[in-house]
Amino acid sequence: MDEFFQNNGFLIVVMVQQTLLAMSLYYPLMAGQLSLASPGFYALGGYVAAIIGTVEYFSPWRDALGWGVFPLEWLIAGVMSALLAVIVGIPALRLKGIYLALATIAFVEIVRVTCLNLDITGGAIGIFGVPQLFESRWAYIWIFGPLLAVMLYFSYRLERSRVGRAFKAIREDELAADAMGINTTRYKVLSFVIGAVLAGIVGAMSAPFLNTWNARQGTFDASIAYLAYVLIGGGRSIWGPLLGGALLSALPEVLRPLKDSRLIINGLVLVFASIYLPQGLAGALGRLKLVFRRGSRPSGGGA
Amino acid sequence: MKRVLFAALPVVMFATVAQADLVGKPIPIGIAVAQTSNVALLGEEEVIGARVAEKYFNAHGGVNGTPIKLIFQDTGGDEAGAINSFQNLINRDKVVGIVGPTLSQQAFSADPIADRAKVPVIGPSNTAKGIPQIGEYVGRVSAPVAVVAPNALKQVLKEHPGIKKVAVLYAQNDAFNTSESGTFQETVKKMGLQIATIQKFQTTDTDFTTQVTAVLGAKVDLAIVSGLSADGGNLVKQLRQLGYKGPIIGGNGLNTANIFPVCGQYCEGIIIAQAYSPSADPKNAINKAMVKEYRDKYKKDPPQFMAQTFTAVQVFVEALKKVEGVNKKKITQMDLAKVRVDLNKQIRTGTYLTPIGKISLDKEGEIHQENFYVAKIKMNPDNKTGRYDYVK
Amino acid sequence: MGTAQIIQNLLNGISIGSVYAIFALGYTLVFSILGIINFAHGAVFTLGAYFTYTLTVGQFGINGLLSGVSLDTQLPFAASIIVGSIFAGFVGVLLERLAFKPLRTRGADSLLALVSSLGVALVLVNVIQYLVGAEIYTFPQEVYGDIKPAIMFEVAGEIIVIRTVQVIIFAVCMVVLAILGYIISRTKAGKALQAVAENQITASLLGISVDRIILFTFFLSGFLGGLAGTLVGTSFGIAGPYFGVSYGLKGLAVIVLGGLGSIPGAVLGGMVIGLAEAFVPPDYSAYKEAVAFAFLFVVLLVRPQGLLGRSLIQKV
Repeated sequence: MDEFFQNNGFLIVVMVQQTLLAMSLYYPLMAGQLSLASPGFYALGGYVAAIIGTVEYFSPWRDALGWGVFPLEWLIAGVMSALLAVIVGIPALRLKGIYLALATIAFVEIVRVTCLNLDITGGAIGIFGVPQLFESRWAYIWIFGPLLAVMLYFSYRLERSRVGRAFKAIREDELAADAMGINTTRYKVLSFVIGAVLAGIVGAMSAPFLNTWNARQGTFDASIAYLAYVLIGGGRSIWGPLLGGALLSALPEVLRPLKDSRLIINGLVLVFASIYLPQGLAGALGRLKLVFRRGSRPSGGGA
Repeated sequence: MKRVLFAALPVVMFATVAQADLVGKPIPIGIAVAQTSNVALLGEEEVIGARVAEKYFNAHGGVNGTPIKLIFQDTGGDEAGAINSFQNLINRDKVVGIVGPTLSQQAFSADPIADRAKVPVIGPSNTAKGIPQIGEYVGRVSAPVAVVAPNALKQVLKEHPGIKKVAVLYAQNDAFNTSESGTFQETVKKMGLQIATIQKFQTTDTDFTTQVTAVLGAKVDLAIVSGLSADGGNLVKQLRQLGYKGPIIGGNGLNTANIFPVCGQYCEGIIIAQAYSPSADPKNAINKAMVKEYRDKYKKDPPQFMAQTFTAVQVFVEALKKVEGVNKKKITQMDLAKVRVDLNKQIRTGTYLTPIGKISLDKEGEIHQENFYVAKIKMNPDNKTGRYDYVK
Repeated sequence: MGTAQIIQNLLNGISIGSVYAIFALGYTLVFSILGIINFAHGAVFTLGAYFTYTLTVGQFGINGLLSGVSLDTQLPFAASIIVGSIFAGFVGVLLERLAFKPLRTRGADSLLALVSSLGVALVLVNVIQYLVGAEIYTFPQEVYGDIKPAIMFEVAGEIIVIRTVQVIIFAVCMVVLAILGYIISRTKAGKALQAVAENQITASLLGISVDRIILFTFFLSGFLGGLAGTLVGTSFGIAGPYFGVSYGLKGLAVIVLGGLGSIPGAVLGGMVIGLAEAFVPPDYSAYKEAVAFAFLFVVLLVRPQGLLGRSLIQKV
């Protein structure tokens, strides 16, 4: 078993990490907001950790705090992401649907190009030799795992809270929610900030995990990948991003034996999954559960 | 999709419960380069280099009679992909050492993994500062840019002593070219020349009229271009089309036959700083054999990354022979972990006569290459193919 | 900035802007009909360039399944670019049938079309690499005939240069735009397309076959994408299977800037972004890639419907 984790540990942690990033898209979606901004905050968080971990200026911090510098990095990444999310979110969240998605893609691109050009972010080559929290990649499960657990508990509570109900009300009908006296702007920005903070913290944890950080970490491609996680997983419950993130991020590795054609198959899987799992994996499993409970044949055909 | 996943998972799990810790036969060496993604342009050259090397060394007796087997794992263009392929090679494929990855950024991510697992890595194309310093087990056969670039400048000054004003152009979103251009700029200043203009571009740019107009406006005597084949080649083409007549120096990124079709007739006369020259040393037998193999098959000269990957495999093969010599035992009868450690030590001893000339790796794993070359591009009449005429 | 510099930038801007425009038109046509963004459009752009290359040159390199293959028959370039773009149009049709229609008939969330088209893009790009490798393919320099590579003239004592290929690309784009404008506003199919874009149910009640109009739209979209790919390919070369990706992304900025679903908007958006990029001072050229998106972000905030969005002008 030990050997299994040594071999696959990195991939498993990546699955958890991608799941968390998928979840960062899910929170705005809970309030009906299609935001693809996560890679921007992920990149920001990673740079925070990489810079605090390597730049001379911060060496007294590192010496004084020891490993305690890592939680501090997460905290700073989270706070900075929250601030940036408020600044970006207040104007951007006036947009709806695909317009918001495109505005957030624009945000991700602007962050990427800026990071590519600054000295402090190491330009094109990025920052390397990021100090390590653990020796083995698998051990990083001890930070990503608890974060996932915390986020699942948080989501559970959130959905049953006043805030969660406000999110849902906005998703179902923003005008009606507004009429009911819900401050829609505030809740929309809040949902956006939750996602941003999560992505920022995951970024700060990922810089040591990947050993290095550069502008290629937060891209348009990543935006779309996270969106695919959520949609293939299912956007109606937290289990969707969980399943989608874990399975889709593992897919290219699982297909590795196919060599040259693995990405072709990966693309086909995306097409077929969109067609045959319109409610996402979580939706499909939910129906399956119903079927088993009733002990009857599937209702509603194949769709 | 579920079916695909569940069918594949057990395979993954079973494959990992292997016991054998002896070195496999034929001796497995890992090749982790970018076979997909937008880095594949470079990765494909490396794959060919590795394949040619495998064939060549097995035809020449492998490691004292034991053949080698190269195991390819696609890294894609990203960091996680590089780590995954390294993990696969180290744990599942049980390789003695790894050649790769393609990009320096990927090396910064994946090399520490190999280093901690005590598996020797040789970078075939990682030229950034700080690569060998990643760890004890990390080396490279790709000379850092700082040593390659200045040669070309010296050569041009010899041919055109009147040069005073220089334009420097580089692809700013590319790590290699940014650092290479830095070296060029330092050298230009050191030689007492004036940098009249510095123009930046992106590897994704298609039109360089702005940069070219600035170069023409600055009335320079020399243009130095650091870019990759597509953007760099187009920049050279547009420089010439728009009337720049002076000499052009191309960085190491232009040291590939890929640029010939891009700039066509306008490639003529570019001075290139090379870490590899197909034709420099007629007495270099192994280079001749490699070039012949490549020419027979592909009808052109091998590019630098191909030769450097060949070289990386060669270093592994020769160091493995040394490991057998020291231990007086066949590699395949030895413990894998010990072979890896010994191999890493042996890689750093002695010299290798490779297609890129005489080289050695120092304690840190940094390459010491005896010769760097300066070549001038000579185009064939068809304007789609050409060659690098060795100058120095 | 001197007069010469300004003129130079203007010329550069409208040239690249016209390519952005016809590329973005492909996006916007599909959006106007289905209300979704086709993420595979960048891949179709790439594919169009490869199609034309295959028809007019037909020699493959040293990687991929077709390595070393050399086709015997070559078409003249003018025919190739048309046939190649038609092929790209058929890929558009195929795309609709494989990735969009099944979702529509199942009444799935229209966002899923983003994922399925992304899947198709992944397939197309990797099939290209599987077949012909990631290496660079270039068109012969004389595809546009035996012309001077650049024209120079003097304004206020300063030299201005224009690459002839830029002029040709601009001219081709203008011709295509004119033809497209004619098709959409004057032909029966075009009018049907407008009707479907306005309201699918009403259109079908009027006896228009919505399904056929959707196919027609995807064909046009693929054709325009493939054509844009070929045009860029002739001026720059085909830099591997991923060379359409940055256009795919920029095209998004263009259509939103102009107003999603608006044809004049896509043209205007293309021109604005082309010009904005051209006028980025050389010292800041590194930020050029961000210009389109900074523009996009600001325009969205000030005017979410885009420059020529719905509220101003009818959608198609």
